[in-house]
Amino acid sequence: ILNTDYPWILNHDHSRQKEISDWLTFEIKDFVAYISPSREEIEIRNQTISTIREALKQLWPDADLHVFGSYSTDLYLPGSDIDCVVNSELGGKESRNNLYSLASHLKKNNLATEIEVVAKARVPIIKFVEPHSRIHIDVSFERTNGLEAAKLIREWLNDTPGLRELVLIVKQFLHARRLNNVHTGGLGGFSIICLVFSFLHMHPRIITKEIDSKDNLGVLLIEFFELYGKNFGYDDVALGSSDGYPIYFPKSSWSAIQPIKNPFSLAIQDPGDESNNISRGSFNIRDIKKAFAGAFDLLTNRCFELHSATFKDRLGKSILGNVIKYRGKAR
Amino acid sequence: QCPHKWKKVQCSLCKSKKHSKERCPSIWRAYILIDDDQMVKPKVLPFHTIYCYNCGEKGHFGDDCNERRSSRVPNEDGSAFTGSNLSSELK
Ligand SMILES: [Zn+2]
Ligand SMILES: [Zn+2]
Repeated sequence: ILNTDYPWILNHDHSRQKEISDWLTFEIKDFVAYISPSREEIEIRNQTISTIREALKQLWPDADLHVFGSYSTDLYLPGSDIDCVVNSELGGKESRNNLYSLASHLKKNNLATEIEVVAKARVPIIKFVEPHSRIHIDVSFERTNGLEAAKLIREWLNDTPGLRELVLIVKQFLHARRLNNVHTGGLGGFSIICLVFSFLHMHPRIITKEIDSKDNLGVLLIEFFELYGKNFGYDDVALGSSDGYPIYFPKSSWSAIQPIKNPFSLAIQDPGDESNNISRGSFNIRDIKKAFAGAFDLLTNRCFELHSATFKDRLGKSILGNVIKYRGKAR
Repeated sequence: QCPHKWKKVQCSLCKSKKHSKERCPSIWRAYILIDDDQMVKPKVLPFHTIYCYNCGEKGHFGDDCNERRSSRVPNEDGSAFTGSNLSSELK
């Protein structure tokens, strides 16, 4: 019987690996390959964006459309929204009216269905579905620092082997538990990236250049959950960066976040603005920490169980399956 | 006296008295090291890149911190972030 609950393990059996952490490393790579977009999907996405961009330029010739967020760094899960920002002189007070103008323009040109204008949010956006590709798109007008952040993330991805793989696994893990939405107190994409980036650059075996992260994704994933699920001092420690490298520093020395209303909270300094705490919206850190600790327990228990099982019992088994709970569409 | 205190558990893999060998972290905490001849080993420990997850200060790992433990979750078996998770010549 084929186990279709975990489609990424089909034809990728690693049950004969001697070290259980190597089995997990291979399964992480299989899952990442499985959820990564195909060339065709990338082309459809790019085509969709340029169609919307042309329509926008028809309406306002001086305006341009930029993609930011997970789509611009390829760190997205199947079915994620594409985040775009309209770059022009249209931001500010007029942006709410402009949202409605753009929405009706797109509708008239059959480029948008299921349109929703969220005008009252801190950053007003249009949400819609592009009818040909069925891709969900969010467009905002506010000049966010999203574009610089995307550039920084691309640099980090180039300089940090293993970052992409671990971020996608952690994202999927939080997504399955509805803990990745900032509007409900979850962890946003940029915060997840910062946590993994810090973890990798501070790991004792990595700073001494003893290991290649790509060969050790299994043990590193477990140790990520160990650090942020069991040991990290959320009450006392903030994450930041110095000369481009991640650092920790005492929360008490960060004047911009004083006075601290809720001590048990995540504090991550924005690399582009040191007075900004990018994780201030993640008020549900208690559940996030608990979920990370649960992932550590699930993964290590599964390792102990499979380590002592016979090869016959290990055949076709998944280590990651119950942890990441992937129920998305096949690629 | 609590009788459980005297119950003898010792891991035959790592000699720890805190777990049995079926639940030894060494089962999963195994690294593939870069081949010795390809490794560019630093001569001195890069202290400037060591930060403490417990107090946020520089120069020591969280497991080795002298401050009161910030997290209420216990850390009995030790974590990745300790000086003992370094190769012997750098310890
Ligand atoms: Zn042991
Ligand atoms: Zn410390």
